[in-house]
Amino acid sequence: MKIQIQRIIFLAVFFWAVVAIAVAQETLWVTSAEADLKAGRSVSSDTVAELQRGTQLSVEAYESRWYRVSTEDGKTGWVYRGRVSETRPEISEGEKKDEGGGIGGLLGGLGGSSVETDAADSARSIRGLSPEAKAYAEKTGTPKQSRDALDQVLSLSISENAIESFLEKGHVGKYAE
Amino acid sequence: MTKQSNDRNPTSRRQFLKLAAPLALSLTTPVYAMDLFKALDPKGKNEDVQKAKQAVEGLGSIVQSAKGIDYETEFTIGESLALEGFQRYGLPVEDKKLQDYVNTLGKAVAKNSLRPDIAYYFVVVQSPLYNAFACPGGIVFVSSQLVRSMDDEAELACVLAHEVGHVSHKHALHAIRRAKFFEGVGKIGTISMDSEEGRKYRSMIGDLQSVLFDKGLDKNMEFEADKAGMEFAYRTGYDPRGMIRVLEMLEANKDSATIKGSWFSTHPPVDARLERCRQHLALYRDASAMATVKDRFLDYRKRL
Repeated sequence: MKIQIQRIIFLAVFFWAVVAIAVAQETLWVTSAEADLKAGRSVSSDTVAELQRGTQLSVEAYESRWYRVSTEDGKTGWVYRGRVSETRPEISEGEKKDEGGGIGGLLGGLGGSSVETDAADSARSIRGLSPEAKAYAEKTGTPKQSRDALDQVLSLSISENAIESFLEKGHVGKYAE
Repeated sequence: MTKQSNDRNPTSRRQFLKLAAPLALSLTTPVYAMDLFKALDPKGKNEDVQKAKQAVEGLGSIVQSAKGIDYETEFTIGESLALEGFQRYGLPVEDKKLQDYVNTLGKAVAKNSLRPDIAYYFVVVQSPLYNAFACPGGIVFVSSQLVRSMDDEAELACVLAHEVGHVSHKHALHAIRRAKFFEGVGKIGTISMDSEEGRKYRSMIGDLQSVLFDKGLDKNMEFEADKAGMEFAYRTGYDPRGMIRVLEMLEANKDSATIKGSWFSTHPPVDARLERCRQHLALYRDASAMATVKDRFLDYRKRL
């Protein structure tokens, strides 16, 4: 009788632990800049949807670095593990998005104030050094070589396609298999 | 004296009650508080109301500096620091292919960082020091000597991700959050470099140089950036042990390296960082199966 009770308690604890782990791991969020929801567990599979950062996902399975997930609007597919996390990301408002266009990338447009929108509009037209940095350089007597160097750094543009192609050629991440 | 105090008290109490509501309200919605001040004193002639209004405006600035600095200001601080960085550490290596390579890798890891929504810029500068640092807003410097001493792309990915980690966590801004500049307007778009605010701004950049180029950030920020370096590189698909290999390389070279202004003087002791990174590695059970991309890295390293 005592052994039976012990077994029941053990099974109950075991069952609770399994359920707790399952519940704790069942939700993920897209934490990278974006993530593709794929029909299969490979980059060559069809893309079901392009998921935005912060999208909540329910996990159904995990195989070889890919999660099978479903979205809140009912889409299902596979997402590469490097794009998601168990922690909901903080989405900052009014930040300059990198759209592969150097500093000309524009702000997120996530509902910031009118002041932030104005700042975004002015930032969009900037190429190279900002007017404020130019004023700082003039006031401090920064050598032209340093100004040109920063101008050159800020003018460099790398496209999203170039980044993906780079990872693919190196067999990195989702291109590893 | 006592009489005078008693006489003043009822007025003060009335003033306090009159101003308490907008003050309290201002903590949550400063715009409404300003409307309320306007309703109380439409012509702006009541000295007490105007003083309270100024106090609330000042409070707004403090709240802003505590909550965070707007991105435009953050980026301009980064640009100003970068201008100083070129003078202190050297100019960019003149090789567009190499700079493109480092930028592509850096942007790839930054996409999997805690702060992927901003633009990051990476530059290899001609310098004999083992060094890398991140300016606020996302301009990352890495020295030619540090790149030359690495052996594969995973190592470089981890170093760039370490610097992205500093930007993600806004470590440099945290270090200067008490600067006098933030007690005033605290927003770059509103100041002239010739004004008093401009002087405070330049003083703040001086302080930031001292932190990033000489004294170094708080050691816990560095440990946090090491973890971030491993995490962002791993999430991108790189071997997180790259971080450990770089630290081991630094440890092996520390006796012959120039210390001042390098990672040795601005970061915690390498052995303490190694110990923490090795502990952190336990999280990545398949680390050995992740990419190192040695051949491509060595092709670019040859260019230095």
